[in-house]
Amino acid sequence: MSQATSATPPIVSLRGVHKYYGTYHALRGVDLDIGSGEFFSLLGPSGCGKTTLLRTIAGFEDISQGTLLLSGQDMRGVPANKRPTNMVFQSYAIFPHLTVAENVAFGLRRRRDLDKRAKGALVDEALEMAGLDGFGPRAAHALSGGQRQRVALARALILKPKVLLLDEPLSALDKKLREQMQNELRRLQRHVGITFILVTHDQEEALIMSDRIAVMFEGEIAQLADPQTLYRRPLSRRVANFIGTMNFLPARVNGDMLDIAGLGRATVKPDQAPGGMPSGDGHIGIRPETMSILFEGDATPAQTANGKVVELAYYGDMTYYDVLLDDTETPVTVSMKNLVGRRVLERGDRARISWDERSLVVFS
Amino acid sequence: MKGGGLRIYAWLYLVFLYAPIVLLPIFAFNDATIIAFPLSGFTTKWFAEIPNTPALVQSVQTSVIIAVITALLSTILGICAARAGAKYRFPLKAPILGFIMLPLVLPEIIVAVSLLVVILALGLPLGGWTVVLGHTLICTPFCIAILNSAFANLDPSLEEAAFDLGETAWSTFRLITLPLVMPGIVSALLISFTISLDEFIIAFFLTGTEPTLPVYLWGQLRFPQKIPVVMALGTILVALSVILLTIAEIFRRRGIARAGGKDTGGFL
Repeated sequence: MSQATSATPPIVSLRGVHKYYGTYHALRGVDLDIGSGEFFSLLGPSGCGKTTLLRTIAGFEDISQGTLLLSGQDMRGVPANKRPTNMVFQSYAIFPHLTVAENVAFGLRRRRDLDKRAKGALVDEALEMAGLDGFGPRAAHALSGGQRQRVALARALILKPKVLLLDEPLSALDKKLREQMQNELRRLQRHVGITFILVTHDQEEALIMSDRIAVMFEGEIAQLADPQTLYRRPLSRRVANFIGTMNFLPARVNGDMLDIAGLGRATVKPDQAPGGMPSGDGHIGIRPETMSILFEGDATPAQTANGKVVELAYYGDMTYYDVLLDDTETPVTVSMKNLVGRRVLERGDRARISWDERSLVVFS
Repeated sequence: MKGGGLRIYAWLYLVFLYAPIVLLPIFAFNDATIIAFPLSGFTTKWFAEIPNTPALVQSVQTSVIIAVITALLSTILGICAARAGAKYRFPLKAPILGFIMLPLVLPEIIVAVSLLVVILALGLPLGGWTVVLGHTLICTPFCIAILNSAFANLDPSLEEAAFDLGETAWSTFRLITLPLVMPGIVSALLISFTISLDEFIIAFFLTGTEPTLPVYLWGQLRFPQKIPVVMALGTILVALSVILLTIAEIFRRRGIARAGGKDTGGFL
């Protein structure tokens, strides 16, 4: 397994963590090390256990079996209010009866060592960091979604936790604002240097923001890797399908030689089968952007295949073609940039496709 | 006119509901012992006579004390039950909560008689506290019903957030939960106070030597010359209830505005 490990000593460390709700097995043996200052994402479909795992780290759920260490200390029996973690909730959980400043200052209530002025300075600093200058006296319930998100961030970061836990913090925002907040969160994380653990079901969000990503299915980590490895070398067809789009074609595997339905012969390197090289019947995966449609005048590359356009989707900057390769049953998706002077094919057109064996991933 | 029939019905309904209450102040200021039109003249002597009727004053005092204690007890019990119901899962939760709500539909006469039997069987003396006991029993379900919605509307991650920020379970409750359910608590206090104040059957069965106001009034109805004084007292009580309800409603609306919630009901 190509599990990347971080260079710094782990600040969060889970070993054989199981969680049962009655007979429901929510976490099935999770082993995980998260480094100091990492932006780490837990990615998976709903019900995969990613939120349970986050709440376990926060201390809202106890673990049924296994150990959880936070900066080397066993967290068994340590409640959430005594842990060096803070959380940004999916609903933001802004206290509606308090002002923005009172919300942000909430965590400082128990800090007897700080006087009123020192607390005020910390609040101002946190507000500024979250881009909420001058919002202090506002009533919390009158804020927009993006502003609530910022208040939640400032409130959680004012305590300078070792780990900031974010439970789908961007899912309630519209697309534009979400993209803006993704950038801001990433910048904020680099600025404060605190470990962020983000729970998300949005693979694009995870790829954009994370240093490393754990993909979870059914309470288990299916793959743990950095974004590029995850995208290029998914361990299984399921992971590949979850991260971006991937086409699958049946293939006969003989050592490093493949005979792929619709594409033809190919030779692959061992690292192109991250889940292990099958022998006999297998599948290959190929990303839409690693194939292209050949037009008149294009140089003819080594590896080509022929097929027919059965469907297409025009996105403005890109066109996605569904091409049924000759002698295959399910079409593959090919994405093409709409360059100047390049024509868009129509449904029913014959298409000649170029591909590259280096971009293949082999699955069982 | 659209909905003309329904409109007339609505007006008749309101007249039927409030006309008797409007008659109360009219006869309270009427200078005659007989409750009948035509009115004979304006007077405030019935009001002046209230303090000169010690038994009446005494019964008002008894009633208010019982109502206040009942309101506090049943609201506290209601808070506990509503919070437990909203937050925790425990075995037999549904039947337990169901049984707590049962007095809401149980005939009061049955509650009153069975309580009387139990108290007499235990050899305990009847008095103010036995009435408080009975009233708390019937008021608690109302409080739970009101507080249930207040607690159910509370986002559970608010409490988690406060806990996560270092507060204890108790300070979280005090700083976050309590202020946010306060409108519900005020409503519960008010409703249980009102129910206790005008409850008759249980008070009639369980009261000792000091009758509550309704029990006293019932006794006075045999003496027609006392009725104008009762009317005067009734007028004061109506005025007080309207003022109290208005204050409570102002607080409730202010609370909702402060919490940024949507106004989904209330008294006025």
